Amino acid sequence: MIFSACSREKEVAELLARGHWPEACAPELRSHIDACPACADLILVTRVFQGARADTASAANPGSPGALWWRAQLRRRNDAVERVGRPLLGAQIFALAVNLVLVGGFLVYQARHGLSWLSWLEQHPELPTLHFEELWPSALMTSGWSLTVLIPLFAALALVGGVAVYLASEKQ
Amino acid sequence: MLWESILPNVLAGDAPRAAEPPMDSDAFAGFYERSARSLWAYLARVSGDHALADDLMQESYLRFLCASRPELFPAEGEVAARRYLFRIATNLLRDHWRRPRAASIEETPEEFFAASDSSAQADSSAMLGPALALMRPRDRQLLWLAHAEGYSHREIAGITGLATASIRLLLFRARRKIAGLLREQAGRVPSQRREQ
Repeated sequence: MIFSACSREKEVAELLARGHWPEACAPELRSHIDACPACADLILVTRVFQGARADTASAANPGSPGALWWRAQLRRRNDAVERVGRPLLGAQIFALAVNLVLVGGFLVYQARHGLSWLSWLEQHPELPTLHFEELWPSALMTSGWSLTVLIPLFAALALVGGVAVYLASEKQ
Repeated sequence: MLWESILPNVLAGDAPRAAEPPMDSDAFAGFYERSARSLWAYLARVSGDHALADDLMQESYLRFLCASRPELFPAEGEVAARRYLFRIATNLLRDHWRRPRAASIEETPEEFFAASDSSAQADSSAMLGPALALMRPRDRQLLWLAHAEGYSHREIAGITGLATASIRLLLFRARRKIAGLLREQAGRVPSQRREQ
C-alpha cells in the first residue's frame, strides 16, 4: 500500500471537527473531496466513528463516582501500608539471619570443643550458686573475647543492621 | 534512635499518607460525569465486550485516582487528565489481550460486535461493528482515538506509547482499510433491511 496522504487532510479534519461538513463546506473544497480518495475516506470514517461514539456513549451506564472514589481511597491506603511493611519485613529478615548465623556459629564452636562447661557443672554439683562467667570456654576467656562481649556486640549489630536496611528501603 | 521517629504513622495508629490523589472528590465527580461515557464507549467499541468495558472502566478510574502524578493535572487541566485516563485504559486493554486465555479478541466472532451493540439500529453503529471486528486491536484503538475522540497524532502517541511518526502511517493504513470495509457494509446493510 502506498502512503499518499493528501495535503488538504488537515483542512478537512478541521471542517469535520467543527461540524461544518457538509453544509458549510466551500464548493472548491467539496470538489476536491469528491476527487480525493484520502479525503473521502477521512470523511466517511470520521462521520461513522462520531455517530458510533454518540450512540455508544448514550448506551453507557456509568456507576456512581462516589463508590469509585472510596474504593480508590481504600486501595491507596492499602498500598501505603504495604509500602511501609515491605522495608520492615526486610529488616526483620536481616536481623533474623544475623541471629541465626550467631546461634549456628556458637553451636559449631561448642560441637568442636565439646560441651566442657556441662562436664564442669557435673563435676561441681555442690556449688550453691552459679557464676555465669565461669561457664565460658577457657579458650574464649584467654583470648580476651568473652561471650559477654561478643553476644551484645552481635545483637547490637543485628539491630543496627536491621534499622539500616529499613531506612535504606524507606528512602528507595 | 526512637522507633517513633522512624515509623511515626504506624505507631500513631494511622495509615501512612500516600501521594495526594490527582483531584478531590467533588472535582472527581465532575470529571467522571464528563468522561465516563466516552471512556466506556472507547472500551466497549475497541474490545467489543460490554462487560469487559465495565470492568476496565472501573479499573481505569481506580488507577487514575491512585496515580501519584499530581504535577500533571493542575498545569494542564482536564484535557491532560482525560488523556492520562485514556492512556491507562489503553494499557489495560493491551494487558487484557496479552493475557493467555481460551478465546482472544482476535478470535471473537464478528457477530459478537454487532449483537452486543444496543444501538444497532443506527446506521453508523450497524456498519461499524462488523467492520471493526475485522480490524486488528491496535488499529481499532488508533481509529477510535483519532476519529471518535478527535485526538491528534501526538496525543495518540502519548496515549498508546507509539512513535508520533508511526501513528500517521498506521492510521492512514487503518483508515483506508476500514473505509473499504464500511463501503462494503454500506452495500450490505440496505440489502439486509430489504430482506427483513
